[in-house]
Amino acid sequence: MVSQAGKVRLSRSAARERRRARLGPLSGLSHLALVVWTVLVAVPILWTFLASVKSEDEIFGSAWSLPASLRWDNWARAWDHAHIGQYMLNSVVVVAFGTFGTMLFGSMAAYVLARYQFRGNRAIYLLFVSGLAFPVYLALTPLFFVVQNMGSVPLIGQFIGLDSRGGLVLVYIAYSLPFTVFFLSAFFRTLPQAVAEAAFVDGASHSRVFFQIMLPMARPGIVSITIFNVLGQWNQYQIPLVLLSGQAKDKWVLTQGIADISTAAGYDADWSALFAALSMAILPMLVVYTIFQRQIQAGLTAGALK
Amino acid sequence: MADNSFSRRELLRSAALAGLLLPAAGTLSACATPAGGGGSTPATQATGAKSAANPLGIAEDKPFEVVIFDGGYGDAYAKNIHEPLFNTKHAKVQIKHTATKEIAKTLQPRFAGGNPPEFINNSGDNSMDFGALAQDGQLQDLTELLDAPSWDDPNVKVRDTILPAAIELGTLDGKYCVLEYANTVWGIWYSKKLFDDNGWQVPKTWDEFTALCETIKKSGKCAPFTYAGKHPFYIYETILTLAAKIGGVDVLKNIDNLADGAWKAEPIAKAAGAFADLGAKYLLQGTEGLDHIQTQTAHNKYKVAMLPCGSWLENEQKDSTPSDFGYSMFPLPSFTDADALPYGTVHSRPGEEYFVAAKSANPRAGMEYMRAMLSKEGAGKFSELLSTLTVVKGAAEGRTLSSGLASASTALQNAGTNTTYFRFRQWYQPLHDEVAAATGQLMSGRLKVAEWADRCQKKADEIKNDSSVKKFTR
Amino acid sequence: MAIRARAVTDRKQMSYVPLGFRAALGRFAMTHRTDYTRARFIAGFLAVPVLLYLIYVISPYAQAFYIAMTNWRGVSATPQFVGLENFQRLLGDGVFWTAVGHNALLLVLLPLLTIAIALFFAFLLNVAGESGGVSGIWGARFYRVVFFFPQVLAVAIVAVLFQQVFRPDKSGMLNAPLMALGLEPVGFLSNPDVAFWSILGVLVWQAVGFYVVLFSAGMASIPREMFEAARIDGAGRVQLFFQVTLPLLWDTVQVGLIYLGIAALDVFAIVWVMTAEHGGPDHSTTVMAAEIYRNAFQYFRFGYASALGVVLFFFTVAFAVLAMRLSRRDRIEF
Repeated sequence: MVSQAGKVRLSRSAARERRRARLGPLSGLSHLALVVWTVLVAVPILWTFLASVKSEDEIFGSAWSLPASLRWDNWARAWDHAHIGQYMLNSVVVVAFGTFGTMLFGSMAAYVLARYQFRGNRAIYLLFVSGLAFPVYLALTPLFFVVQNMGSVPLIGQFIGLDSRGGLVLVYIAYSLPFTVFFLSAFFRTLPQAVAEAAFVDGASHSRVFFQIMLPMARPGIVSITIFNVLGQWNQYQIPLVLLSGQAKDKWVLTQGIADISTAAGYDADWSALFAALSMAILPMLVVYTIFQRQIQAGLTAGALK
Repeated sequence: MADNSFSRRELLRSAALAGLLLPAAGTLSACATPAGGGGSTPATQATGAKSAANPLGIAEDKPFEVVIFDGGYGDAYAKNIHEPLFNTKHAKVQIKHTATKEIAKTLQPRFAGGNPPEFINNSGDNSMDFGALAQDGQLQDLTELLDAPSWDDPNVKVRDTILPAAIELGTLDGKYCVLEYANTVWGIWYSKKLFDDNGWQVPKTWDEFTALCETIKKSGKCAPFTYAGKHPFYIYETILTLAAKIGGVDVLKNIDNLADGAWKAEPIAKAAGAFADLGAKYLLQGTEGLDHIQTQTAHNKYKVAMLPCGSWLENEQKDSTPSDFGYSMFPLPSFTDADALPYGTVHSRPGEEYFVAAKSANPRAGMEYMRAMLSKEGAGKFSELLSTLTVVKGAAEGRTLSSGLASASTALQNAGTNTTYFRFRQWYQPLHDEVAAATGQLMSGRLKVAEWADRCQKKADEIKNDSSVKKFTR
Repeated sequence: MAIRARAVTDRKQMSYVPLGFRAALGRFAMTHRTDYTRARFIAGFLAVPVLLYLIYVISPYAQAFYIAMTNWRGVSATPQFVGLENFQRLLGDGVFWTAVGHNALLLVLLPLLTIAIALFFAFLLNVAGESGGVSGIWGARFYRVVFFFPQVLAVAIVAVLFQQVFRPDKSGMLNAPLMALGLEPVGFLSNPDVAFWSILGVLVWQAVGFYVVLFSAGMASIPREMFEAARIDGAGRVQLFFQVTLPLLWDTVQVGLIYLGIAALDVFAIVWVMTAEHGGPDHSTTVMAAEIYRNAFQYFRFGYASALGVVLFFFTVAFAVLAMRLSRRDRIEF
């Protein structure tokens, strides 16, 4: 595809000169394009932060005016009345358990499906993968009843029924499985055989080989899919909306809470609290992302490129 | 890079296979049907012995649940007025109070699951469809409540303490089953202060109205008119009321009854044309993209002079209204001398729906709760707290009314029997949605009056011909 | 044990029961034992995920296909079977087909715009730098971090945020400068001719960052010598992009196309939360998912809504099939 023929040996400095001559004028424009996009991305977010310390009047005033004083009481109001802290904690708990469960069960299923031959393997694999094409909106109503019925299971029912975080976690796990199984089984297939063989010969059990050898070897893939799942479950809006009703506000997740405050702003006209709540929802995500951005970016792409 | 065409082919084949597997998986679905036969009536519904103090025979020791729509009225009135009032007569009955902004999302599943709450304030953008509820027998027949002695006077029946229109509107399929509690009056709202300061007069004819708009526009002080552009209901409400004033109440009856060509009647075209003109000339800039709170706040800031709204407005805006604003409303001006209904005609109807779930565990307690709401005390305090009239006759007498409520109350008195309303919004929500969408376009000049009427009529015909939709008549 | 000396290295061999091991010890003694533990292991590992998946995913979908053939309104437990009536009705449902049209438009434009912009930026950040040949532009790391920001915000939050950005008066972020210049404010969400493009803008805004990172990683894995060679051959930036980068990145671009295509068919929260009339004004921004949700949870026509869902299902499957057919292409291995 690429011609390898004309490797004319120029001196390094001469080559650099030629490049500079060719690429120079474009550089300014490139930078401009990058700066413009940076502005497009950052400004709406910064603007939200700014509005969060404005008064009601200032929000209804000119969009670009600076606040006369910094009204941190908006934040206090959003925190107290809008329960942003509670919603965030709920999101963290649900996503933590959801992602852990997804990765555990997803990798177990993917591993077995990828590396063991048995009757029904193809069918199960295809059943999982076909889930990638299902639009979730089709399942919402029946899903509600499934979860409701789980609530009547003896003993554990109350932890996995409607209005419970456990129920939401199980649903998150189930709906994350198609993607997880699809990518991880592709990943497990690419892992070399030799180490595992040696372990078997040493008398290691199947599950030990999985947990102590194959799983660590699949780490790049695991990390990558974990990040995908964290993002996906953190952003989920539709499923909690249906499964955690208004009666269980103390269990609501963050996206629900924000949408509710936005609806409420239509009735109570407390726009400054809305912006404060938005800022509170945005800020921790940006901070966490910025701290771990190297790992996140590396992880994200490791899986997708496999 | 790893070969991933392999995995993609998998995805393709599995998608095809999914089609084959799904029917087979149907056998699993048995475990997911609604619990216990879903909407069936619970085996035992709580009852108690009837007595003078307990005419509906509620169980004095059984709890029940009250679900309030946490919207413009908030839920404090239930918590602080009605629930304590109920408990004065039934101290041992525990009330579970739930407030939500998303009535349908919260409750629809519970209905389908067979464990609905007893008492429901089914209001707001996300309320449940009454047609669907009626169709499935979920609405408790409240006739017994009407015939029960009233809370205040054992010699007067509840039926005689409330406005007849409330009973008419609460009747579905010949059965009274929805309590329309708040009595809403619609009109054009203005600031008395702003009008007085500028010497502007309340217009009585359409010509005076447009002349006033012109004056306001020229004064440069503010925009003449606006409405909640994101919710065109606010403006199609005035169009339909004007149409009824021009052509009489049958204009709206025909629309509600899905009569052929109802939307193409001349009075409707005239009214729509009049408001389309208004929209072209006198609207606050950006109106079509603003919602009710944004326009109402602009109104409070004297950026616009008039807007159409219902009598809940004053309460909704209480936090952003300047103290000397002087909320007032006037009825729609007369279009011509030949109008079928006289000046002063208002769109008024009981609203804010409440019902008792027929298939709940303790429906009688829900009915008793309604009886408490319909007491003079329950209704009067409601009016005072929320600046809203109720359907309970004379309940607001002797209460301190705010300026807006007083003007609404006066307008209603002046109107006498000349009140109009329409019901298709509650009966056929898809029609409401289409009329709203088309009216938004009419007001911004993207639809001509005839095109607008065509679209509304088309949707009405569609619903009429849809056998799966339950039909109502009035 | 002699067999320890050599491990089975056949990569195609998927079974983890080492053949050499079996042979040496004799089929007789061990086969039953190993088959049993192996089967137990497989069953044990699959039991929980498969069960969860059947209960929470497969069974609701299966039921949805049934509900699509009833007139269920959601509040009764006894849906009435009406056969294909719902499907007949949806053929004449203008709003639904408007929604389908919007999804189709998104299906073309969202991947196209997002990938074009992301490729452009990724190329600038990784290959087109002026210092030392093919390294990235100055500040590449910073840009990659910032560009990714929208991706970590929940879609519902982005929708609420842009509702404010697009406000039609001078308190709107975009309209404020326009009005300061004396221009008419733009009804970003209130003008039906503009609203759809505003939605598309937000979707692209949120998606680009992820693909910049994805393509950057793809470009990083292209051997440097390829660029060096092309440059020495006299290739400019444009040639470098079209003759070296794009062909070598084609696989990754395909992955992006499929992700974005599925995302275009699944658009919901942005439209539902952000627009007037949930998909308005005047149905100008509505999408299939919004119509499904509206019919189910606002009109309580669960039967009809499920029928719409079934149509969306087949559209999604058709897209997946088509995308995979089209995307099979020769690649360069290295």
